[in-house]
Amino acid sequence: MNNDIQKIRNIGISAHIDSGKTTLTERILYYTKRIHAIHDVKGKDGVGATMDSMELEKERGITIASAATYCEWNNHEINIIDTPGHVDFTIEVERSLRVLDGAILVLCSVGGVQSQSITVDMQMKRYKVPCIAFINKCDRSGANPYRVIDQLREKLGHNAVSMQIPIGLEEKLEGIVDLVAMKAVYFEGESGEKIIIKDIPDNLRTEAEEKREILIDAASLFSDKLTEAILEETEISDELIIDAVRIGTLERKLTPVFMGSAYKNKGVQTLLDAVTHLLPCPADIQNEALDIDDDEAPVILSSDPEKPVVALAFKLEDGQYGQLTYIRVYQGNLKKGSVIINTRNGRKVKIGRVARMHSDQMEEISAIPAGYIGALFGVECNSGDTLAAPDINISMTSMFIPDPVISLAINPIDNKSQERMSKALNRFTKEDPTFKTHVDDETGETIIEGMGELHLEVYIERMLREYKSEVIYDKPKVAYRETITQKAEFDYTHKKQTGGSGQYARVSGYIEPFFDDVFEFESKVVGGNIPTQYIPACEKGFKESMNKGPKMGFPVNGVKVVLNDGASHSVDSSDMAFKTASQAAFSNVYPKAKPVIMEPVMKVAVETPSEFQGAAMSLINQRRGMILGSQDEGSLCVIDSYVPLADMFGFSTVLRSATQGKAQYTMEFDTYKQVPKSVEEELIKEAEQEKKKRGV
Amino acid sequence: MQKQNLKLHNPFKNMENENGDIISDGGFGAILARAGIGKTSFLVQLAINSMLKEKNVLHISLDDPVKKINLWYREVFNHISEKYELSGINRLWDSILPHRFIQTLKVDGFSVPRLKERITDLTEQNIFTPKMIIIDGMPFDESVKENLDGLKDLANKFSIHVWFTIKTHRHEQPTAGGLPVQLENIHEMFEVAIQLIPENGKIHTKTLIGGEGRSKHPELHIDPSTMLIMEE
Repeated sequence: MNNDIQKIRNIGISAHIDSGKTTLTERILYYTKRIHAIHDVKGKDGVGATMDSMELEKERGITIASAATYCEWNNHEINIIDTPGHVDFTIEVERSLRVLDGAILVLCSVGGVQSQSITVDMQMKRYKVPCIAFINKCDRSGANPYRVIDQLREKLGHNAVSMQIPIGLEEKLEGIVDLVAMKAVYFEGESGEKIIIKDIPDNLRTEAEEKREILIDAASLFSDKLTEAILEETEISDELIIDAVRIGTLERKLTPVFMGSAYKNKGVQTLLDAVTHLLPCPADIQNEALDIDDDEAPVILSSDPEKPVVALAFKLEDGQYGQLTYIRVYQGNLKKGSVIINTRNGRKVKIGRVARMHSDQMEEISAIPAGYIGALFGVECNSGDTLAAPDINISMTSMFIPDPVISLAINPIDNKSQERMSKALNRFTKEDPTFKTHVDDETGETIIEGMGELHLEVYIERMLREYKSEVIYDKPKVAYRETITQKAEFDYTHKKQTGGSGQYARVSGYIEPFFDDVFEFESKVVGGNIPTQYIPACEKGFKESMNKGPKMGFPVNGVKVVLNDGASHSVDSSDMAFKTASQAAFSNVYPKAKPVIMEPVMKVAVETPSEFQGAAMSLINQRRGMILGSQDEGSLCVIDSYVPLADMFGFSTVLRSATQGKAQYTMEFDTYKQVPKSVEEELIKEAEQEKKKRGV
Repeated sequence: MQKQNLKLHNPFKNMENENGDIISDGGFGAILARAGIGKTSFLVQLAINSMLKEKNVLHISLDDPVKKINLWYREVFNHISEKYELSGINRLWDSILPHRFIQTLKVDGFSVPRLKERITDLTEQNIFTPKMIIIDGMPFDESVKENLDGLKDLANKFSIHVWFTIKTHRHEQPTAGGLPVQLENIHEMFEVAIQLIPENGKIHTKTLIGGEGRSKHPELHIDPSTMLIMEE
């Protein structure tokens, strides 16, 4: 294991579907000798590519779960983390992007910058991930890497600069010219493993010199030494150029572009060289955690292995060895046998076996130092949990997990599916804190809850693919809430004293809107009018009433109950009597407090090329959206808005069709707001129809 | 009710014409001050005043992102509601918010044709029709005349008035007419120009252009702790 942090690279490979990401990863693993044969994605050998683990990802064009694998190149250790490409999985995206320090943006030399390239590029921008670009498929008919470089500049706003030029294109692709070393590089042998360096062919010399000139010019902005060398016309060494390009890359002000064809085994090794030369090591990146004891104030972590351990569990996997937890250590050294704390629940965790994973193979190691990625066995934790030394209380992610805003009732088609569904749900809820599940008391249906329509759909498909559990489901439902808008007084007597043991309880007080929390209860009863032992029963009665609002049956939020008087009976009063009295009092007083329906309102940010700004805004407007503003970011613009979740169903489809697939959006819960009268009436009508349907 | 209450406390009421605006359609107004004195805050209060009258404000910032501008508004609004002890301000805020649209452009990406394109987009699709534009952070250098000419046409075309912030510098000498150097050769394009001057722990306003005739410009000052505009 390499102990020099300067020689570690944690990278992601981001790409549009079908731009050859899996093939490229496969070739990287082959040349770094992690695998000994090449299996193509849709190969005839029936094995499939090593990283290509989830069929669903290919089918939907999105990467859902991120696998991690490592390899070695030029004495550097490279950890490759697969990144989810869809925006709906915000927690998953955040988790995997913060684990990696740099990325390769793979583009197809025929297709160029496509819609998903824009998506993944935006993600990298958002999380400030430095990247290099690789223009793949230069052997394909219609290949034009220069057009792709122009698109990188125009569509994505990158300061893209060519580090190579191709020797031949399409079926005549022979190799590449390295513009730094000014040499021609050919990839020979059965699998392109033999690298042959030659002089630049005469017909390419002028072009190579021109492109090198452009490269040096762009790089000189990041190095005074290089500028000096240009001005003084002294010899420009390879190191000088590479150092300058590296600075530009790390600052995200320069995107070096490499090219080749992974399928034809050309250009992969030079790309690996670039990963080691140009992408950051963990020490180059400043990582922040949150100090839980100091109101989640940011704390800078240091990659010093002597400091207390801070690690993030970023992925869980059920494998042949039991639960496998992928972690990245940000600070300290996580040793086998040590004891650490899971900051989410304060539980002690004893570190048993520590390993490094390569797809489904593993290698046991004794410790994982800061900056490294590894896996733990038998550690009971959730994805996104922070594991830290016992003497510190910091977390890598906010402890705030938003409540789900959308739900869906699912029914397994048979007993087998039922069993498998439980297993799957158990796994998913552990992996994703924003995904929740429960059984509806009334209908007996299993309800899954999450942060968006696609979020739930993907889990249903994963249930089928990974767990062979087939379920049927209805339309998703928005998680509406009820609340009250004014103070109202109650005085209720629960009396049942006709024969047998009686029941007697009287409660009196008021309810009022409460903005700080979901529920608050205060007892101002004096003189023992309600004996102290019955007060908790009253609280319980009111609290339970909040679960199902009398208006529409939605949970009630933001109510304060003040109990100021009451009465009891020496024989007939009981906990049960006071609880029942409180529940009845709540039902009686609730309509007087002018209840209203609240709906989740989402913060929606649409990122779109500027020419579609009007179209995108118009779509938001049609959805009861409130546009906050629009921000120009070069060729793109970001529209910030607030839109009720109920109107966001199907938004991705219409947004895509209105913008030629070039816009994307992120959505997160913002707040609950009162629904307009017309929507409330619609909801009441729907509820009545639902009741009729169920025969209630 | 709360809206009426706030309208009564409008610090600009003595400056406004019969339409409730300080400047007429197609007109320009400017707030001049050194960095950090409160130009943006002044304009935000002008904007909130307009939003309370249900007149749409397009706020264009050439420096700050949408979120930061929004925060400016929210903070000024909170200070106002604290000062006048308003309750239920969230509802009031929600009701005036649709009258504001923030557009941020990078300084080097700012051009009048681009702005025109944006406004046309907004108005043609019935997304937002501004009555007043605020342009915060536009450099008032040698090239400003060309931009102002273009903006004048735009303001006339859409029947809107435009407020600018103009950053002044301590070391600059005023022009022969006593105006800040930034207004040299262009002062005739402005109906109103107000300078913010810090003095004795207070920020005073000085009317450089306008203030005669129909609109009487009262003495205003800014409370440095809240940046709220007060009448003297």
